[in-house]
Amino acid sequence: MITFKLNGQTVQGEEGQYILQVAEKYGVDIPTLCHHKALEPAGMCRLCTVELFDGRRSRFVTACNYPIWEGMEVQTDSEMVHQGRKLIVEMLLARCPEVPLLQKMAEDYGIGEPRFKKEEDTCILCGLCTRVCERMGANAISLTGRGVDMRVDTPYGVNSDDCLACGACASVCPTGHIDLDRVNRQHTRIQAQLIPSEYDVGLKGRKAVYVPYAQAVPNTPAIDRDVCMHFKTGGCKICTAFCGVDAIDHSMEDEIIELDVGSVVLSPGFEPFDPSKFDSYGYAKHPNVITSMEMERILSASGPTAGHLVRPSDHAEPKKIAWFQCVGSRDLNRCDNAYCSSVCCMYAIKEAVIAKEHAGDDLDCTIFYMDMRTHGKDFERFYDNAREKVGVRFIRSRVHTIDPAPDGDSLSVRYITEDGHTETETFDMIVLSIGLQISPETVQLAEKLGIELTPGNFGKTGSFEPVATSREGIFLCGAFQGPKDIPQSVVDSSAAASAAGEILSAARNTATKTPEEIPETNVVGEPPRIGVFVCRCGINIAGVVDVPAVAEYAKTLPYVVYASDNLYSCSQDTQEAMANIIRQKKLNRVVVAACTPKTHEPLFQETLVNAGLNKYLFEMANIRNQDSWVHKSDPERATEKAKDLVRMAVSKVALTEPLQEAELAIKPVAMVVGGGISGLTAARSLSRQGYETHVIEKEGQLGGQARSLYRTATGEDVQSKLAALVEEIQDDEKIQVHLNTRLAAVDGFVGNFKATLVCGDAEEELEHGVVILATGAEPLKPEEYAYGTDPRIVTSLELDRRLMDDDPLLKKAETAVFIQCVGSREPQRPYCSRVCCTHSIDNALELKRRNPDMTVYILYRDIRTYGEREYLYKQAREAGVIFIRYSVDNKPVVAVGKEKISVTVTDHILGRPVEIEADLLSLASAIVPPGDEALAQFFKVPLNDDGFFVEKHAKLGPSEFATDGVFLCGLAHYPKPVDEAVAQGRAAASRAVTLLARETIHTSGTVARTNPMDCASCGVCVAICPYSAPFFTTEGPFAGKAEINPVLCKGCGLCVASCRSGAISLKGFDNDQIFAQLFALNEETVV
Amino acid sequence: MSEWEPKIVSFLCNWCSYGAADLAGVSRMEYPPNIRVVRIPCTGRMDPKFFLAALREGADGVWVSG
Amino acid sequence: MGIEPGRIQFSWVSSAESTKFVQVVKEVTETVKALGPNTHFVKHEAKVA
Repeated sequence: MITFKLNGQTVQGEEGQYILQVAEKYGVDIPTLCHHKALEPAGMCRLCTVELFDGRRSRFVTACNYPIWEGMEVQTDSEMVHQGRKLIVEMLLARCPEVPLLQKMAEDYGIGEPRFKKEEDTCILCGLCTRVCERMGANAISLTGRGVDMRVDTPYGVNSDDCLACGACASVCPTGHIDLDRVNRQHTRIQAQLIPSEYDVGLKGRKAVYVPYAQAVPNTPAIDRDVCMHFKTGGCKICTAFCGVDAIDHSMEDEIIELDVGSVVLSPGFEPFDPSKFDSYGYAKHPNVITSMEMERILSASGPTAGHLVRPSDHAEPKKIAWFQCVGSRDLNRCDNAYCSSVCCMYAIKEAVIAKEHAGDDLDCTIFYMDMRTHGKDFERFYDNAREKVGVRFIRSRVHTIDPAPDGDSLSVRYITEDGHTETETFDMIVLSIGLQISPETVQLAEKLGIELTPGNFGKTGSFEPVATSREGIFLCGAFQGPKDIPQSVVDSSAAASAAGEILSAARNTATKTPEEIPETNVVGEPPRIGVFVCRCGINIAGVVDVPAVAEYAKTLPYVVYASDNLYSCSQDTQEAMANIIRQKKLNRVVVAACTPKTHEPLFQETLVNAGLNKYLFEMANIRNQDSWVHKSDPERATEKAKDLVRMAVSKVALTEPLQEAELAIKPVAMVVGGGISGLTAARSLSRQGYETHVIEKEGQLGGQARSLYRTATGEDVQSKLAALVEEIQDDEKIQVHLNTRLAAVDGFVGNFKATLVCGDAEEELEHGVVILATGAEPLKPEEYAYGTDPRIVTSLELDRRLMDDDPLLKKAETAVFIQCVGSREPQRPYCSRVCCTHSIDNALELKRRNPDMTVYILYRDIRTYGEREYLYKQAREAGVIFIRYSVDNKPVVAVGKEKISVTVTDHILGRPVEIEADLLSLASAIVPPGDEALAQFFKVPLNDDGFFVEKHAKLGPSEFATDGVFLCGLAHYPKPVDEAVAQGRAAASRAVTLLARETIHTSGTVARTNPMDCASCGVCVAICPYSAPFFTTEGPFAGKAEINPVLCKGCGLCVASCRSGAISLKGFDNDQIFAQLFALNEETVV
Repeated sequence: MSEWEPKIVSFLCNWCSYGAADLAGVSRMEYPPNIRVVRIPCTGRMDPKFFLAALREGADGVWVSG
Repeated sequence: MGIEPGRIQFSWVSSAESTKFVQVVKEVTETVKALGPNTHFVKHEAKVA
C-alpha cells in the first residue's frame, strides 16, 4: 500500500497504480480525453496533467500514466494546472472547432475564439481508437504519418481485410470523428452496421453483451458469441474489466445435457411472416412500410421511440396510417399460407386504437381487410367501439400494390371499393399485418421427433385430444398447434400440462427436495435491534447515491444497532454474510435499502428465515428503481431521498411483529358442475391424476350440447367419440356422476367447500376442495326468419340432427340457404358466436357431398373460419357454394311459400336484391349462456353483460376465477368448438390440480384481523370486501361480530379503511406502521 | 438555500403505480426527486387520517395513485 | 378544511405505464411547487426555507 497526498488529503493506493486511478477512487475528478479504464494509458491528450511535488520541486506529469510512489504530493487543480489545461483545450478547439465536446469544454474554461489558426479537423489524435483496435485483436488501424500529417488510418490508406467492422473505434471516439460511416468508407471491406436488437425487431441496435429486454428472466446479460470480438480474435475481454464481481467467463462451452423424462411438451411458437418477398408491397424498399411487429415496438413505451409515434424515414409524426390485413395469410398465390392467422384482425384494430390514443384524434387510421375476424371474447365489442367511437376506418378491400408518393416518404395505394370504384389514397405509413407461420427449425424438430404435421405445418392433433401429437407422450401447445391468441395459448399450455401430468401422476412429488427448517427465534418482548444493509448494486446505486453516507446516517437512527453497505446484497456470499451478521449482532429487525421489494423482497425474507428470524420482521427501502435510477442527474437530492426512505423504513420496521402463516388442509375432492364435453374432460383428467371427482349434471344424461353435433370441422364423428368419453366416465371408480341434480347451496372456501346437492326430493352434502364450473350454454331459439313456422327452417344443430338421421329431405332439396349471425353480433347480443361460420360451411359441404347438384347459398356478414378452418371455406367455394354478403341493417327477408321458401338478400356487389327459392333454410343461431346468477352467487364469481362468466384474467387466467379454488371451462366461458372446449376442460383440471397437489395451503401473514371488542357489527366490511373474507361469527361469545377468514383475505386493506369503529387491523400495513413512516418523513420529527 | 423544493408523500398501490415506478427506474426515466413513497397493498387501504398525518408531519403534498 | 385543491391528488397508473407515471410525478410536483409550502395542520411552525 502506498500513501501519498492528493490535494492535501492523505490517500492510499496499490503498488503499480496510476494517479488517475487513485483519484477516481477518492472521487477527485481529473479531466481526460484519451483515457479508457480497460486500455493501457498513453498520455496522449495531456489534459490530465497534474502538478507533482517530489519534496524539492514541482513538475507536471500526466495523471493517467504516472505511477504513484510513497510520499509524493499531487495537486490536481492548482492555478498552474488549470492554465495548462486551458491552453490544451484552446489548441484542441482550434484544431477541431466543430466538435461539440470541445466547444463545451472551451465554454467551461471560459475560452471564446481560439487564438490559434483554426483548422477543420475532428480528430484530436488521442489514439483511443488505435489502442482499442489493438485490444480487439484486429490491429487494423494505427496513427500514421508524422508531425502535422499524423492521422488515424489503415496501412496505405486502403480499406482493409483486417478490419472486422466491430465498431469499437467508433464507440470509444470522444469527438465523433470515427463513426460507422467512416469505418465503412475508409477502414473495412465488410459492411459495418448496428447489431439489430431482436426485441425491437431491428428498429434499434444492441450490444454484443446484452440483456434481451428489460423484463427478461433471468435479468442477466448474455454474450452474443456470433458478434463478440473475443470469439473472433481472442482479443478484447474489456467487459471483464468492468464487471465488479468477476462473473464473466469466456471459456464456457456449450454443454449437451441428457434428461430422462416421462413426457414432452412442445411449445416452439411461431415466426412472423417475412413480407420482403412481396415485391408489390416494397417492404424492403420503402422505410415507411413496416410490419405489425415493428408497429408494436413503435407504440410501446419501452420501444425504440419510447412510445412516440413517428415513421421511420424522417421521424415525422404520421397523419395517416393504413393497415393491410392477411399479409402472409389466406394466400396461396404469393405465399404458401392458405390458413388464416387468427390474431391479425384483432391486433390491427388494437394498434389502430392505440395509435390514435398516442397521436390524438387527428390521426387517420384505416384498416384494409377481407373479412373482419373478431371472434374472441369481447373482441366484437372492441371492433364496434373502434369503428363507431374511436373512428377507425374499415375498408373491405385487398390492396395489391404500394407505390412511393411524389414526396418520396409517403406511400400511394390504389384499391377497389366494395361498389367497384377504383380509389387512390396516400398514406404516411403502412403497416403490414403479417401472419404467423411455423419456422423451418420447428418443422425439422417435428421430423426428428417423428410427429405428424398439418398442411400448414402445424402439429397435427385431434379435436378430442387437442394437445396430443401423433406420438404418444409428446404433447404440444400454443401457436405450434395452430395460429392462436394469448388466451387460447394459455388454455393450451395448461391443457398440455394436465396431459403430461396424467401419465406422470404416479411419480408426483418423488423428485422434490424439502429445505431444512431453521427454528425461529422468539423476538416478542425484545426491544428492536435493527440492522440496516445499504446496497451499492455495483454502480447502479453507488454511482448516484452516496451509499457510505446513507449507511453512516442509518447508524444514527433509533434502535439501529448495525448498518453497513454491500456491493451486491443479492449475491449468494453476501446473503450468507448477512445471515451471519443477523445472528452475531442478535438483530431482530432488518432493513435492506436496495433495488425494489417487487423483485427482491422474497429473497431477503429467505435470508431472514435462514438466520432464524420471522420473515415479516423485514422492510425494504427502494433506493434503486425509485431513486438512483431515476434521479441520476441530481446525486445530492437522490442521497437525501435515500436517507429519508431508509429513515421511514427503519421507523416502520421497528413496529413489525412476527406473523404466522396459517396452514390449511385441502380436501382432495373435486366437483365439476356440468356434464358436457368440457366438464367431462375436466373430470377425466382429475381422476387420471388421482383425485376423487363428482360430476353434477342437471339433466338425466351426460354429454351436453355435443349430443346434437354431427361432426367436427376436421371431419371426426362426434357421437362415437362422445359415447366413448361418457362410458369412460361412467366406468371410472374415482368419478361419481350425479344426474338430474342441481346445487341448492354452497358454503365454505378454497380447500373446504360444502355443497348441497338436490336430486328430486333427496338432498346430499358434498365436501370438496375445488370446483370447476362447466355449465355450458344453449342455442338461441331464433325469433326471426320465420323460424318455427315451417319444418324446412332449422337451426344449425337441428340440421346436424337431420344429417345424423340421414333425413331424405336433404337429398331431395334442390336449393339450401344458410343464414349466418342469427342473433349474434347484434345490439342485444354484441358478440360473435365463433363456431357458426365453420359449422355452416362444413354442413354446406356435406350437403354438396350428399347431393352434388344442390345449389347452396351462405348468406354471411364476415366469414370467420379462423386458423386452418380456412381450408373449409376455400373448399366450399371450390365446390360451388355461393357466398353472398349482407349487412346487418339490411338483413335477408324470408317468406314461406307452399313449394319453396323465398329468401331475398341484397347482394353487395350487385347492389340489387336477389331472390332465392329454397327447400331448406339453416339458421346459424347464437350460443347463449344461461347466465345463472344463483350459481355465480354461490361461488362469488362474476358474470359479464352477455351472461358468460368473467375469468380471472382475460389473457393470462382464462380457465380460473379470481376466487381461489374455483375454475372455469367450456361454453360458460365463451362459445367455442369441440377442440377448444376439450382443451379448456383439461386446462381447468390442470389449474385445479396445482392447488390439489399442494395438499395444504399457506395463508399470507399480511391479512386483516378484527378486534371483536371494538366491532359494532355494522356490516360494512362484509359488504365491501371483493373476496368475501369478512363474515359474522355465529357462535361463541362474539356471535354477531365480524370476523375475517385469513384464507380468503388478500390483504388489500379496504375493510381497514372502511371500518368506522377502528376494529380492523392489517398486519404488515397497520395504521401505526404507516403513521410511523409518515412521522419519519422529516428528520427533526424522529422521536 | 437554493430554490424551495416541496416534499410530497406518495401512497402507491403495490400492484399498479408502485410497479410503474419500478418500471420507470428500469427504463431509466428521470423525474423530480420530491416524492417519498409509502407502499400500500391497495388504494383501498387509504384512510383520511393518512392525509392529515402526512400534512401534519410537514408534507407539502399528498399523492395517492392506484 | 383549508387544504388547497392540488395539495392532495389522486391518479390511476397501471404497472406497465411508466411513461404515464413519470408524467404524473412531474405534474404533481409542479402543482405542489406552485402552491408553496404547506401551512395547514403542520405540527410545528412551518420552517420556511
